[in-house]
Amino acid sequence: MKTTKMQFGFSQKLLTLAVIAAFAPAHAEEAEVAQLVRPESYVSAGLGAATGDTNDRAIFGQYNGLRENDSNLLLEFNFIKRDDTKGLWTNAEGHNLGLDNRELGFSQQKQGDWKYFVGYTEMVRHDPRTINTGLQNAETTTPVVMSLVTPGTGTDVNLKIKRKALSAGAEKWLTPNLMFVVSAKNEDRKGARLSGTGVACMPAVFSSIPCSSLGAAMLLLPEPIDSKTKQFELKLNYSDEKLMLSGGYYGSFFNNTNRSMNPQVSGNLVNPDGTTLDTTTTPGSTLVGYLQQPMALAPDNQAHQLYVSGTYAVTPKTRTTFKYAYTHATQNEDFGSLGAPAGVSNLGGVLDSNLVQLGLTARPMEKLSMLGSLRYEDKADKTPLALYNGAYTNDLTSSRKLGGKLEANYRLPDNYQATLGIDYASVHRDNPVTTADIMNITPPAISPLTGLREDTNELGYRAELRRSMSETINAALSYEHSKRDGGSWLIIEPNNTASNAVGTYPMTMLDRKRDKVKVSIDWTPIEKLSLQFMLEDGKDKYSAPSDKGLRDTGMSSYGVDAALILSESWKLTGYLNQNTQTVHVDHNVGYMAELENINTSLGLGVIGKPLSKIEIGGDLSYLNDDNRYQQSMATGAPIVGGGLPDVTYRVTRLKLYGEYALEKSAVIHADMVYQSAKINEWTWGNNGIPFTYSDNATVSMQQNQNLTFLGFSYVYKFR
Amino acid sequence: MRLFFKALIFCAIFGSPMFVTHSSAADDATEAAATPADTLIEVAAPVEAAAPTESAQTLSKDLVLRGDARCTQCHDESDSPQLLAIGKTLHGVTADVRTPTCTSCHGDSDKHVNNTGQVKPDRTFGKYSATPPAELNAACLSCHQKDANRHLWMGSIHESRGVACSSCHQIHAEHDKVRDRRTQADVCFTCHKEQRAQINRLSHHPIPEGKMGCSDCHNTHGSAGPKLMNRDSVNETCYTCHMEKRGPFAHNHDPVTEDCSICHNPHGTTAESMLKMRPPFLCQTCHTPHLPIQSSLTGQSPPSSSPGWWSSPAITQGRSCLNCHTQVHGSNNPSAANPAPQNLFR
Repeated sequence: MKTTKMQFGFSQKLLTLAVIAAFAPAHAEEAEVAQLVRPESYVSAGLGAATGDTNDRAIFGQYNGLRENDSNLLLEFNFIKRDDTKGLWTNAEGHNLGLDNRELGFSQQKQGDWKYFVGYTEMVRHDPRTINTGLQNAETTTPVVMSLVTPGTGTDVNLKIKRKALSAGAEKWLTPNLMFVVSAKNEDRKGARLSGTGVACMPAVFSSIPCSSLGAAMLLLPEPIDSKTKQFELKLNYSDEKLMLSGGYYGSFFNNTNRSMNPQVSGNLVNPDGTTLDTTTTPGSTLVGYLQQPMALAPDNQAHQLYVSGTYAVTPKTRTTFKYAYTHATQNEDFGSLGAPAGVSNLGGVLDSNLVQLGLTARPMEKLSMLGSLRYEDKADKTPLALYNGAYTNDLTSSRKLGGKLEANYRLPDNYQATLGIDYASVHRDNPVTTADIMNITPPAISPLTGLREDTNELGYRAELRRSMSETINAALSYEHSKRDGGSWLIIEPNNTASNAVGTYPMTMLDRKRDKVKVSIDWTPIEKLSLQFMLEDGKDKYSAPSDKGLRDTGMSSYGVDAALILSESWKLTGYLNQNTQTVHVDHNVGYMAELENINTSLGLGVIGKPLSKIEIGGDLSYLNDDNRYQQSMATGAPIVGGGLPDVTYRVTRLKLYGEYALEKSAVIHADMVYQSAKINEWTWGNNGIPFTYSDNATVSMQQNQNLTFLGFSYVYKFR
Repeated sequence: MRLFFKALIFCAIFGSPMFVTHSSAADDATEAAATPADTLIEVAAPVEAAAPTESAQTLSKDLVLRGDARCTQCHDESDSPQLLAIGKTLHGVTADVRTPTCTSCHGDSDKHVNNTGQVKPDRTFGKYSATPPAELNAACLSCHQKDANRHLWMGSIHESRGVACSSCHQIHAEHDKVRDRRTQADVCFTCHKEQRAQINRLSHHPIPEGKMGCSDCHNTHGSAGPKLMNRDSVNETCYTCHMEKRGPFAHNHDPVTEDCSICHNPHGTTAESMLKMRPPFLCQTCHTPHLPIQSSLTGQSPPSSSPGWWSSPAITQGRSCLNCHTQVHGSNNPSAANPAPQNLFR
């Protein structure tokens, strides 16, 4: 043996080591490949804490579950198991488990055969504004109004709406061509939202009551929410070489526990000038009688839809698409004690809708592609008419919409590509016909509208030229023009010619001319730098039987985006955008409003890996939203109070994260968010003077909100 | 035998991970000057500097996908580890006979293979790909058009504007950002920049918070609805979450039944409830103002008003017009008593 060893010149031990060493790289390779191709699971646990109080976090914490508590558990997991031999996936995941917007899900699927999932989600929307009120039984259907002696001395109420949703679904391939899909979702909503009631003496409403004996008052009453929505869908999908077809049923159901809100006023109220509004004698007692009338809340309703859609390849280069859907929606919530007309117990609301959509795409020549589509939607409101307000019936919402487009795309020499398109859209509304029955009634049935239109038609043209100038630069220029007009106007008060000449007509029915131009450029000057430039400008001009109402609107937008790869480990991104929108409205009462919104946003991002065990990243974003409300008088007279100040919203957010690899399968993850938000609005107050309701209730939001959030998590990864 | 064992020792020394596993940056240099050790390893898994022969390909093992050896003999864990991550995805399940191999999407790419990468594959999916989007998409749609969610892709705005599946999807990544609600919007904002600014406004859907994604409302693969809405209209899409607005009501509000987006910008505004404009200005684009005065605020000199009429701040501030017309989405109150529910008061 020794001789043998001598002969080889190696010991057995060395030989063994050599063999191991020789095959070790292969095993290492396999392990490395396995790491690259096997899905990864993780469990993450940690703690997060934010500075400030709930007022500092009102904007930041609207939806992210971080408003109410200073510190929160940060718990997440994602477990993925895959059986490669069977193609079987099992996935369980949970996100935000320590917060009020947690999500849990479980699913299994055998690819190409079957799949099912179950999901549970919670989400809370915290209203960023705080109500200060003396209201008793707030957020119930029986609130009791008790005036505050001084605004701001009541109880702070932060409204929120909590949604809890449970969903489930399954898919099964019945044959290689046929698939069955089923899904269901139930969502419970509880909480309250801003609402209220008000009464002002207006002839249209209180024609029989002299204004001097009524007065006016407004109350802030949170609307209680306790409802369920359910959705079910069953679908059968068929596919072969040429035909793909899907047909199914979709049902959706809304159920509201609260039928009405019945406010009570206890004690006196407050006039706008701060004096007491005595509710024991007229006009105060009359006013309170009106304020205490029940308010109807959203009624139960349901809709059932049957549909079929699909696509068919007529030839290899010509394909059609189609959809037909029939929807039957009803609303028959019992009116209960709300005071329905005799013999009517519910609305008996019925809406039947039919939708047909057809599309055709073709490539008749190598360089030419074309498409055309047609869409027709008929909504028939079959709700029976009843006199719900003396002389007035309910109004119906039947409509027919027809839309279509034709488009041709041609590849020109020198890498140019041209697109020409025509778009058409028309709307026919039956509503004015219904209201015609009640026209010439004083006061008008639809107040304060001046006229309605049954038909509007819009025809538009567009052209686009694209050019791929090189492998590193693409550019596109497009122009759109459209014109909307319609049938004759149905004037609500035809005899009131003087008023109609300066009346306001609905913006959706006005004649409109629209022009829009857009330029975009994609440029990669060097391999590691890409830039995008975008410029857009558009104008709408409106015209109506009068020279009042909406006159014109405008928009312009420009921006640049950049992405830079510094190295394999470092990447930078950035953007700058500014969007401007304008609205010009002339009012029949002699003043003009010129509204302008200027929205400027800026972002910078970085991702880097300075060391093999450390990964970091960050985003800095800035937004300034400036809304201007310029008013002027036709007579040249000064604006009362100097007009309205700007409303501005500015938010700067810095988000940083870092990961340190403790070992191959474990990292420490850190998050830091700094947010500074500033809101300046006149909606709920002006110059430090709160807008007060008739019980001295006020609404506020902290103007400057600064906070820092820090979170640390331990993340364990496994396969 | 002696030669065999010498070779074995050579493997032991030079075949260690240090030499086998090299960074992709060093690939070209390594391939250009193949070491003897490399040559030995090639016996088991041939990686040829020149065009691979048929026999060499046959000797290669698939790494991830069925039949991927043609590609992974070069694009292996050393050369392109990020490409192998496709194995973590649904495409990487070889037990599913429908799953593709590299050439299913990239084409046979004979010239690319025969010229060791000097020529691009038949189909590349990068930003400046020379392959027309329709051809790129055909590779995906050959399987995925069977999904009913993509039946209306042809003729949709994204299809006709030349958007490729790979413009949004990362096929090789375990985490495809656009399929995750928490990261999806960032992908959409690559083109839809106006919406990127809007979702950061005060009143917004919970998109920045990751509780909603663009696909909760839009089917980017084509739909029968306008603006690629998931359901057949804007309203029907909104009703999936806001079903209480559906009615019909005893007293409807026409624009509400026609299109929610007449008044709301669902991507975000600075006004309450994502209203496009702050009332009363929004309401006054259709309705005549009540008062013969302009809007004014608490604390300003109040304009004169008719006795008993509410003051100008009351239609400007608070909930503005909605202070009284609170049921602006419709009222199902059948009562004939004042104040008339017909005017959406209660």
